[in-house]
Amino acid sequence: MAIRRLFVANRGEIALRVVRAAQALGIETVIGVSAADTDSAAARLADRAVVLGPGPAARSYLDARLVVHAARETGCDALHPGYGFLSERAVLPRLCDAHGIVFVGPEGDMIEALGDKLRAREMAAAAGVPLVPGTNEIASASDARREADRIGYPVLLKASAGGGGRGMVIAHDGDEVEAGFQKASAEALAAFNDGTLFMERFVGKARHVEVQLMGDGRGKVLHFGERDCSVQRRYQKLIEEAPCAAMPDALRAQLHAAAVGLAKSVAYRNAGTAEFLYDVERQEIYFIEVNARIQVEHPVSEMVTGQDLVQWQLRIAGGEALGLDQSDIAIAGHAIECRINAEDPALDFRPSPGRITRWQPPEGDGIRLDSHMGEGATIPPYYDSMIGKLIVTGDTRAQAIERLQKALADFRIEGVPTTIPLHREIVAHPDFVANTIHTRWLEQTLLPSLAIAAE
Amino acid sequence: MADPIRPEDVEALVARFDASHCAELHIRFDGFELHLSTDGTASPTIQHSATPARAGAAASPPPAAALPPVAGTTTTPPPVAPGADDLDGLEIVRAPYLGTFYRAPKPGDPVYVEIGAQVTADSDLCLVEVMKLFTAVRAGVAGRVAKVLATDGAMVEAGQPLFAIDPKG
Repeated sequence: MAIRRLFVANRGEIALRVVRAAQALGIETVIGVSAADTDSAAARLADRAVVLGPGPAARSYLDARLVVHAARETGCDALHPGYGFLSERAVLPRLCDAHGIVFVGPEGDMIEALGDKLRAREMAAAAGVPLVPGTNEIASASDARREADRIGYPVLLKASAGGGGRGMVIAHDGDEVEAGFQKASAEALAAFNDGTLFMERFVGKARHVEVQLMGDGRGKVLHFGERDCSVQRRYQKLIEEAPCAAMPDALRAQLHAAAVGLAKSVAYRNAGTAEFLYDVERQEIYFIEVNARIQVEHPVSEMVTGQDLVQWQLRIAGGEALGLDQSDIAIAGHAIECRINAEDPALDFRPSPGRITRWQPPEGDGIRLDSHMGEGATIPPYYDSMIGKLIVTGDTRAQAIERLQKALADFRIEGVPTTIPLHREIVAHPDFVANTIHTRWLEQTLLPSLAIAAE
Repeated sequence: MADPIRPEDVEALVARFDASHCAELHIRFDGFELHLSTDGTASPTIQHSATPARAGAAASPPPAAALPPVAGTTTTPPPVAPGADDLDGLEIVRAPYLGTFYRAPKPGDPVYVEIGAQVTADSDLCLVEVMKLFTAVRAGVAGRVAKVLATDGAMVEAGQPLFAIDPKG
């Protein structure tokens, strides 16, 4: 049954994005906002906005009972969770089910299974998806050497009970493994009262690649190409691109097949993303996890496929068939997204809520801006600091970078510090232009070089 | 007298209840009343006659018409019921969060307060229900109930005016 009235259970740019997608499909929208967001762009654009609770997310956006109560009482027949907040909490689809509201996303059980990393790894292994080569529990130093010889160096010894880097040792050859086994085991015993170790291949220079998936819940799954999200700080993505230009076609085909195979094996429903590590030196990919929601960086996939992924989410949730074939989804051009955060890179990326006194976005060919901000808008202190996503598309990666450099130079925001100056540095850097970066590049190379330049 | 109950306290109680094997929990003290039930088909102890579909909501269509018109374009500020024109000198009691507004503790019971009633800061004025979790709202100020600003059995939003109290009354 097609959706008639949609409840938007989110805020910020994604709430606005969802409202617009619904309106394009002729679906009425009701958004649940906190008291801090009553004047937000999404609240103004939606057919109706209802105030859930006070500003702090725990008492508004994160309260599943409140959200579903509001959806039911406003006569909504479907609910879109966006990303973040409740989007990957199994309780939300379960409550929706109990009240006859269609959840725009996978089933609660699927969200729960994929949220458990070990279960997700088991699902991937069962579907024949490559995992980082590794071991179970290792009994002795000589076992460790034998296993490491099999896996290939360097290897990472890890404490089963571990965390925070304690009981972790990188070893580059057999002697280092044996010595490392003793050291890591003793550390783990001291720290966790459990000296049990296991081992994984250590990927020193990895790229983060991920495949955009869409399933109908009955076994049909399509992919919308891959994204490369290797510019990261503390595992937070700052820049995402599509496609992954650094990946050869043969490996790309393998990546897509692995992701689709995994999603098909569980009859995945709605939008999801399979994330992988890309070991550039070995030319191998390893499964990380599946994100059971639409992601922040979905626009770059939309720009190179010409498909509206949020509209597809709503159409599938409304019972429409996934009326495309894989051959209908062609990748054309190259798109790059910069996450614009209200943070001060000079002060260790401290969030900087406040009022935007000037907002002058760039204009030109291939520019898309997904943002809920504008002049005079305020950034409340309760939520994450992302204020927009600048997406630039070109025929080639080189053209996209050129346009992005110009767009970032033209983007003027005043009132709060933002990450725009940092993005200018990144996209002008020879390593980024040459596409030789990896997931630790920003922290190991770029940020230290900026710190030295600032002294 | 105990400290006033906070939303976090209710959340903590719900979490403990969810984690327990109890089917039902009813708490009442100092003008605070809370009813929790795992059984979506059972009648909550606190239920209002104006909305007979409430107890069976899990299996029934949304209340009122299946798709009533979407009201207004936005609610900034939240909608104010008729009779909210002259509130000078009155204290406004607002909904702490979104929920369904009930003026009586149980179906068939008299309402907590009528217009003209004298209340203290600790007097319960109404219930706000979220998914069968009923929370009493207190006056917070002593005085006379001057106006009722929300409709019994209707959804109210966070911050929406529920009552006007005349502190000099």
